[in-house]
Amino acid sequence: MKEIMAIVRMKRTGATKKALVETGVAGFTAVKVLGRGRLITDPTVIEDCRQKLLSMGVDDFSDTDETERQVTAFLDGSRFFPRRLFTVLAHDEDVPRIVEAITKANHTDHGIGDGTIFILPVTDAVRVRTGETGEAAIW
Amino acid sequence: MLLIRAIVRPEKKDEVLANLSGAGFNAATMVDVVGRGKQKGIKIGGMVYDEIPKVLILMVVPDEDKDKVIKIVLETGRTGANGTFGDGKIFVSPVEEVYTISRNTKGL
Repeated sequence: MKEIMAIVRMKRTGATKKALVETGVAGFTAVKVLGRGRLITDPTVIEDCRQKLLSMGVDDFSDTDETERQVTAFLDGSRFFPRRLFTVLAHDEDVPRIVEAITKANHTDHGIGDGTIFILPVTDAVRVRTGETGEAAIW
Repeated sequence: MLLIRAIVRPEKKDEVLANLSGAGFNAATMVDVVGRGKQKGIKIGGMVYDEIPKVLILMVVPDEDKDKVIKIVLETGRTGANGTFGDGKIFVSPVEEVYTISRNTKGL
């Protein structure tokens, strides 16, 4: 018995739900969360995008330092962005299939920010309606 | 890999996350939660508040970094000299596998 925790883009919630149904796993729990990932330590990677955003953001009314700080935080990974946390309970043998389906539904060409999947062991589960425990309680 | 779930005060959230990021643990997920502890909530006059707002921080780190992360959360999450009721808890659970979707690889 395994718990699959997948953090995905908000926009991909629908695609993830569809992928789960197609894999035969209809049950899941989803929560709105805020998340961030790896920090970009090399400033040259984000420099082009930063200049582009700064040229759009700087005007006569707003504070230049504040704009610069916000644009940098937006790009270098220190800001939190909204994400959806899916929790799926699965039998051991179904885990690779589910991981593949979630990966396929969420992979984009941005190269960053697509989310992470964690697999945790679960010792027991109980279905409240019938009182079944263990593997029978999952689906 | 270990999953560290830290429940901290909402007003301490920014400080804890900034310190974690400064120590090289930038990746984190946070959720606003409500909960109560051993003290059965807070009693003010005749009214009992047992849904106290907290922030749940989720982090997955390699086994050897566990102590560092816990130390940072314990030191920054605490209020007052000796800590106060309601400063929160840290739970650690094992994680068997991790996949990163954007690079389509196994591991953090």
